[in-house]
Amino acid sequence: MSAAIESLRAQFTQCGSALPGAASIGPRRKRAFEEFIARGLPTTAEEDWKYTSLARLQEQSFALPGPVDVASAMAAVERFAVEGLEGPRLVFVNGELIPPACRLEVIEGLEIDSLGHALEQGAGAEALDQVVDLDRYRFARLNTALFVDGARIRVARDTVVSQPVYLLFITLGDETARLVQPRVLIEAERGAQLTVIEHFCGDGAAALVNTVTEVLNQPASKLTHYRIQEQAEAHTHIASLNARVAADSTLVCHNIDFGGALVRNDVHVRLAETGAHAELNGLYFTTRRSHVDNHTRIDHLAARTTSREDYRGVLDGRSRAVFNGRVLVAEDAQKIEAHQSNNNLLLSRNCEIDTKPELEIYADDVICSHGATVGQLDETALFYLRSRGLDADTARGLLTFAFAEAVIERLGIEALRSRLSRTVIGRLPDSERLRDFT
Amino acid sequence: MLKISDLHASVDGTEILKGLNLEIRAGEVHAIMGPNGSGKSTLAQVLAGHDSYEVTAGSVVYRGMDLLALAPEVRAREGVFLAFQYPVEIPGVNNVYMLKAALNAMRKHRGEPELDSYAFMKLIREKMKLMEMDASFLNRGVNEGFSGGEKKRNEILQMAVLEPSLALLDETDSGLDIDALKVVAEGVNTLRSPQRAIVMVTHYQRLLDYIVPDQVHVLSGGRIVKSGDRTLALELEERGYDWLAEAVGA
Repeated sequence: MSAAIESLRAQFTQCGSALPGAASIGPRRKRAFEEFIARGLPTTAEEDWKYTSLARLQEQSFALPGPVDVASAMAAVERFAVEGLEGPRLVFVNGELIPPACRLEVIEGLEIDSLGHALEQGAGAEALDQVVDLDRYRFARLNTALFVDGARIRVARDTVVSQPVYLLFITLGDETARLVQPRVLIEAERGAQLTVIEHFCGDGAAALVNTVTEVLNQPASKLTHYRIQEQAEAHTHIASLNARVAADSTLVCHNIDFGGALVRNDVHVRLAETGAHAELNGLYFTTRRSHVDNHTRIDHLAARTTSREDYRGVLDGRSRAVFNGRVLVAEDAQKIEAHQSNNNLLLSRNCEIDTKPELEIYADDVICSHGATVGQLDETALFYLRSRGLDADTARGLLTFAFAEAVIERLGIEALRSRLSRTVIGRLPDSERLRDFT
Repeated sequence: MLKISDLHASVDGTEILKGLNLEIRAGEVHAIMGPNGSGKSTLAQVLAGHDSYEVTAGSVVYRGMDLLALAPEVRAREGVFLAFQYPVEIPGVNNVYMLKAALNAMRKHRGEPELDSYAFMKLIREKMKLMEMDASFLNRGVNEGFSGGEKKRNEILQMAVLEPSLALLDETDSGLDIDALKVVAEGVNTLRSPQRAIVMVTHYQRLLDYIVPDQVHVLSGGRIVKSGDRTLALELEERGYDWLAEAVGA
């Protein structure tokens, strides 16, 4: 048995009974843990993990984080929080809710609670594991078994909430590798509209953040979900977003990855009823030896469902990225439309991208497209800019910025756009000069 | 201003320019005409510094400098401007910022203070008026979604802002309707000055009705085969290029 599994077993034995919701979900946690242990961590022998090795993770020992010092937590919030965001905010440091950093405005029709708190109150258990496919996403099982806290968000029928709900997850690594497992449950009732931002950041030594989000879009609702990942270079980040989208509803997902040593991000959207629509928008920057793996899966289970997906990556150093975009069209799902694209820019000779679309279509009246590109900057554009007097580095930086900006432009929140544009610029050569361009 | 001697250039191993000689003085406007494939665009690209073209022999002296030894951006900062035949669309890079960066790169190179946003906007609005360009242009990406005519106007706008010493216009008239052609020609004529040289590369003489050249050269088979005043252009219009190619055996 690997060190990782050994340590997780010890943690479950020690802490399992003290986790929130023992009365309501205790047995479920136990079952999830046993099933997780029985199958172990995925290996590269499995198709879904072919390009992403967890060998180094296997060798690490993990422990749940200890109590957080509020003063240092507040200092971390100061450092990492996105400025200029209005609306409700929940802040977690090493998985623990930090009440003085939270902002809980009363908005009619919007219910936000810490999931740990909800479970202690006897609520929330019914929403857990309702959307996620635990057989497919084994890390979600680990999350169910050992999560400590997270958020439960519900927006009532026909309620349109204009301000985004901001969930900030800060992970501060120390000498022991910490296991941080946020769990987020979101439900938009019929006709409701909501935006949720999940922001992952932090610093310090190796930590494993394993986060799971479950989304229920009831009919005619709209949810916009942001996952912004800017964790430390030593961190491992494993995420899954699992959604069920009902009739005439829209789910928009933005997935932005700037940090982490090893990142695996699964998005699984079930377009369950007629008229359901999903938009997946992704951007990843990889550098040095980082590894970022995006797996998306969109199930068109009903007629006239639509999806659009555009992921872009900028790779540098000896980094590696994986994109696997799966689209399944069920037998009765006629007149669906699904478009997917994945474009990658390789800035060094030593980086690697493995990109693979997977279309599995059982209906006959469908429109599906997919395309992937892997390449360098457009030489003609580069020459054009240089012929106007811009030096080669600035021109390259500018074109790389423009490539990434195509994704950032689609974010509906100005405070996020400007922060992420600045982050992109900070990653480029000659960033001082490029600041003028935003 | 510019002296090209025995210039040979090839692309992918195929020689396109085969011993080209040309001398242009400040204040002059030259037209280079010739059939398709004669090397007109190659000449423009080589002078601007495109690295797909390999110069295998010859020299180009620009204002006392060995032009071929300079990087494209340095040529630009020294006052060489190429108006592209096919201006490149660069979504996500704003027109105005690109142009401001270009102008300030030049000013810095010349040891002049950089223009701030206010001064720059004032300048560009004035030039846009000259080129009859719509204000919406300011917020768009470089040439993004522009029609053929808008792209050519944008090239001349850039030229008007950057005020080069040597302007190379590569097929600037192609794809323009007559109204757009007049606007573009007006823009170019405004820039005529005793300190500036302009080289127009063109297949048709139509442009020369609006921008009257001092000299006309015919490029054929990678060399200048005939030079003359503007009546040469009219003769070419009438007789085509074939008689010349036959006459010089090119």
